[in-house]
Amino acid sequence: MSLLDLLLLLSLLTTLYLYAFGNHRNAGHLGMVVYAVATGLVIAMAGPLADGTGAVGSTFAPVMLGHVLSWSMDGLGWFFALLTTGAAFFASWYMSGEWNAEQPNKRIQHGTLALNVFCMLLLLSSGDLLSLFIGWEFVSWAAFLMMTQLGSHAARAAFRYMLYALAGAMAVFAAILIVKAQIGSFAFADLRAAVPALSDGLKWLLFGLFGLGFGVKMAIVPFHLWQAPAYSFTPGASSAFLNAVSARMGLFAILLVLGKLIGFATLSDLALPLIPMDAKTLLMWVAAITMVVPTFIALMQTDARMLLTWHGIGQGGYMLLGVLVATPLGTAAGLMHVLNYASYQMALVLAVFAVIHRTGTADLDELGGLIKRMPFTYLALLMGIIGLAGLPPMNGFVSKWMIYKSLLDTQQPLLLIAAFVGTLGTILSVYKLIHNIFLGQLRAEHQKVGEAPGSMLAPMLILAGIGFATGFFPGLALGVVDVAQAALGVELLPHGLGGVYLATGSLNMIWVVGIMIGAIGFGAFVFYVIGNRRYGVHQFDNYAGGHFLSADIRYHFSHEFYPGLARLIGPWYRGSVVNMENGLMIGLKTAGDLWHGAFRIAYTPFYLLVALAIGLWWAGLDGGF
Amino acid sequence: MVEIANPGMLELVVDLVLMPIVAFVVGLALVLMARRVRAKIERRVGPPFLQPVYDIVKLYSKRTQISHGWMHDVAIMLLLGGFITAEIFLPVPGMSGLAEHGDLLTLIYIMMVPMLGMALGVGDCANPNGSIGISRALTAMLAYDVPYIIAVVGACMVYGTSNLVEIVQIQQAGGPATWGIVTMPLLAIAGLISMHGMLGKEPFEIYIAPAEIATGPMVEMSGKYMGALFVMQCFQLYTVGVLYTTLFLGGGEMWLTFLPKVFAVILVFVAITNLFGRLRTEDVIAWMWKWPTGIALLGLLLVMIDV
Amino acid sequence: MNDQVPVVGEERPETCRAPDAEERSLWRRVMDQFADHCRSRSLFVLHYCTGCGAVELPPTITSRFDMERVGVSPMVTPRQADLLLITGYLSVKTLKRVILSYEQMQSPKYVLGFGSCTINGGMYWNSYATVKRLDQYIPVDGFIAGCMPRPEAVQQVILDLMRRIDSGQANAWRDYYLDYDTYLGRQAALFGEEWHTPTDVVAEARHYGYFGPGTTGVHTARLKNYTEWALNQIPELLPERGRNEKART
Repeated sequence: MSLLDLLLLLSLLTTLYLYAFGNHRNAGHLGMVVYAVATGLVIAMAGPLADGTGAVGSTFAPVMLGHVLSWSMDGLGWFFALLTTGAAFFASWYMSGEWNAEQPNKRIQHGTLALNVFCMLLLLSSGDLLSLFIGWEFVSWAAFLMMTQLGSHAARAAFRYMLYALAGAMAVFAAILIVKAQIGSFAFADLRAAVPALSDGLKWLLFGLFGLGFGVKMAIVPFHLWQAPAYSFTPGASSAFLNAVSARMGLFAILLVLGKLIGFATLSDLALPLIPMDAKTLLMWVAAITMVVPTFIALMQTDARMLLTWHGIGQGGYMLLGVLVATPLGTAAGLMHVLNYASYQMALVLAVFAVIHRTGTADLDELGGLIKRMPFTYLALLMGIIGLAGLPPMNGFVSKWMIYKSLLDTQQPLLLIAAFVGTLGTILSVYKLIHNIFLGQLRAEHQKVGEAPGSMLAPMLILAGIGFATGFFPGLALGVVDVAQAALGVELLPHGLGGVYLATGSLNMIWVVGIMIGAIGFGAFVFYVIGNRRYGVHQFDNYAGGHFLSADIRYHFSHEFYPGLARLIGPWYRGSVVNMENGLMIGLKTAGDLWHGAFRIAYTPFYLLVALAIGLWWAGLDGGF
Repeated sequence: MVEIANPGMLELVVDLVLMPIVAFVVGLALVLMARRVRAKIERRVGPPFLQPVYDIVKLYSKRTQISHGWMHDVAIMLLLGGFITAEIFLPVPGMSGLAEHGDLLTLIYIMMVPMLGMALGVGDCANPNGSIGISRALTAMLAYDVPYIIAVVGACMVYGTSNLVEIVQIQQAGGPATWGIVTMPLLAIAGLISMHGMLGKEPFEIYIAPAEIATGPMVEMSGKYMGALFVMQCFQLYTVGVLYTTLFLGGGEMWLTFLPKVFAVILVFVAITNLFGRLRTEDVIAWMWKWPTGIALLGLLLVMIDV
Repeated sequence: MNDQVPVVGEERPETCRAPDAEERSLWRRVMDQFADHCRSRSLFVLHYCTGCGAVELPPTITSRFDMERVGVSPMVTPRQADLLLITGYLSVKTLKRVILSYEQMQSPKYVLGFGSCTINGGMYWNSYATVKRLDQYIPVDGFIAGCMPRPEAVQQVILDLMRRIDSGQANAWRDYYLDYDTYLGRQAALFGEEWHTPTDVVAEARHYGYFGPGTTGVHTARLKNYTEWALNQIPELLPERGRNEKART
């Protein structure tokens, strides 16, 4: 029995157990233990994978229609598996205390989390195209179960997701069948060997079908509309888990199939007619649009969860762009961003749900001043937004810097500018998030709100701490990234503990963060030593042009936080994007109605007639009369 | 992996101490120049030589220092700390500090840290004028940073590196013909305009707007909090001046040739700022995304054809 | 830690008592003199421009007389200002705002009254709605006689104030802390018994060592009624909401 067998078995048993006994008050603690063990198992697998060629196989190999299904985990899958089990550990921790005690559907929450982990591990350890497809479907349905757990809003969004996901799965299935028809095998190695011999048209077809299928999960534009509501309205830790890991399965599949099997180099040979662009550049521009457009949609959100999930879509664009650069630096940057993003996004979502837990709302127009009541939650959110905005000293800066640098080194300034613009939009948006929730006027109804409980604070603070540690010592994360990069067959990026050294400009975060900490310490010294002691005043002792402030006056500037910008680019949202989305929805609904109408009983004789006619015609052709 | 020649420990310590001090002192002189030039344009005499010092000492020696919460305090520390870090990564004649360990892209992001810190501190003051000021400041940042980034990216492509020390060396070795302002004049123009916006001078002064939102971010700042903002102003003028000089005016091998360039850059800003009124927020964005961005994109196109 | 609910007159340890001039070390004396000098050379002015004297300020500030020569520059909010210029008559309503602004200024702070109206009511002396003597309500460092004073007179009194700051004599702002009860009593006599400001002057006096026997008294005792004023104005907003409430998702 190999380690992979053990891991999958453990995960499966956890799923069954938690689905049956998830209502027990210690379910969260059990989850923590199991996911910690699972993470340990994944780490134990690292040994043979480090050189990039090894894989940990599974002894479980059923035969289906004459094909042997195989599961084995290589470095790429290992990288994402580590992410999955780690994220599940923190999600379970969050659900272990007060949260667990108060949730009405904790059995579903624990059960679906375990199910998702199991399905993802299954996908990540797929050994051929058929098991990849099986894992893919499992993951889609598991995520669907997780999203629908509360019904109503989230369920509608989840249903929308399912439509996209089914379309994507069909595309993937079609692509796999084409591969089977062409090369007669589901094995990865056979596809890899056969790619150079395929015709350009077929490559385009495979690129399109796989790109569509995996792109839906990854929520790249224009298949991104489902993700934000679906992830936002899932409760608590489930939402954080979905945000951190779920969409990354799309990236995994893109890396595996387009990157490793078909090869990004093959894609850059596929030239588009008329315009000087190839398939890879096309995908890079799609990634660039994915960075910019969802970020600016996030900027206009009034729900904290929606804001974060829209950013999640945008951050996916950074990862895709990074790995598509396909230089050692770019690949490392994209993969490292996966890890970094998981750490800070999870901290952010958990912090927002802690606020919801205490105040009952995530509406950015209805909060304010909570820093006075929930200082530690504020700290977690603050570190999270610094990471999300990609500023030093957090880890988000390192991976974004590497993405910028790789684009600069490969002479792609326009993509670089798109990445920068996305980052600028992110800074605006995350400031709005933290300002509207934690800064400004504390409302009278929140005067007695308390700090989030320890079981919820600990995971988010630790995640934020991981974000800081891997920002201070990026070498820690880059060491993990190396395994996946070796498995992808990309040359490894030489790095030290503090960062990367290149001939065209270096980054040593130990110096950057060290100096920054020192300088801020000096700032603190100046603040405390020079000048008289500070004296804290309360919020109504405030300049308002001679006006007397009181609690019945709501003066927190939170609604429409960027009015100047909104006046300028607002029409874009109202006019084109929203109309496009509505148009798409109406189109889908109409198509659905037509389809539904076509199956209605009243039409049956007509269809029978048509079928009969076609049958006769075909038979006639065949018979040749 | 590229090996970086680490400077000697003593040299490094001297750099760490001297670079922020030099930045502060030069910044004080720049503030004085800005105020004197403004006075001269308005046919006034202007403040005395030590006025910037008087102001800062006065503010730090206020007897009462009110604070609106711990983030308000931390913001002041971040403000000073962020700018001191930026100075250490910004090479000047004779002192390259730690510029080898972080490049131009790093510097751009380090310069955003004090801004974010200030934004958080102002938010903690719970004053709507302050929040509106920050909203406008961030909007203005979105506006001016687009041409600024294009100019920076173009410069990096022309020099083939984002290492600030090397950028200076390339221009020093080639003489004035290789200065950025000669090799990429359009980018230099766009950079100048965007840095003018970065300093928040008229007509891009939307977030100070004293008559409108009561100096926006500064509305609740008093005593040493305000003093730290005055110090920040010194650092900001210096940083912008030095960065522009480094990217487009060849940097400098010695202070005697370097400082005049820095003062000249700031002089351009303060001389033209008095000619304008204040634009509306959306007009700032529209203008910044139209003219400087257009010029910068054209410059980038020329660079891309050239490279 | 700053709490949202103000507690007027809350006991704070007096760790920062201002020592007497004789007690101070040489270092402190030199530093204080240096600080006083800088204070005198850098006066940020808040104009309270509800009176007619305001029209004299533009020439004082701008190119005709250019007060920036001596470090005087206009500021926008009381937080940033050192010098409050009351440019003429004050109605009862505006006096409330003046007191609010004065309390929001940071010490050391100085007040100058413009024209006869701030000295004795001037031409409004028998009006029911105007304040006759400004120095009854806030401590004033200097008056400028005349209706109205010329910019030269404004300059003269500012230069005089600067001299007094430099020599450490402009200490009227301490009276407000030391005699707060008296000032509050006079204010309340004018505005009514419910008069209070959001600034907790008593706690500030305790915190910075300006607490004297006159700081508290019968009038400040009344402020205890308003410790919860931030909340008790809207009781319906205070149900046990928040803690332990289920997510409304």
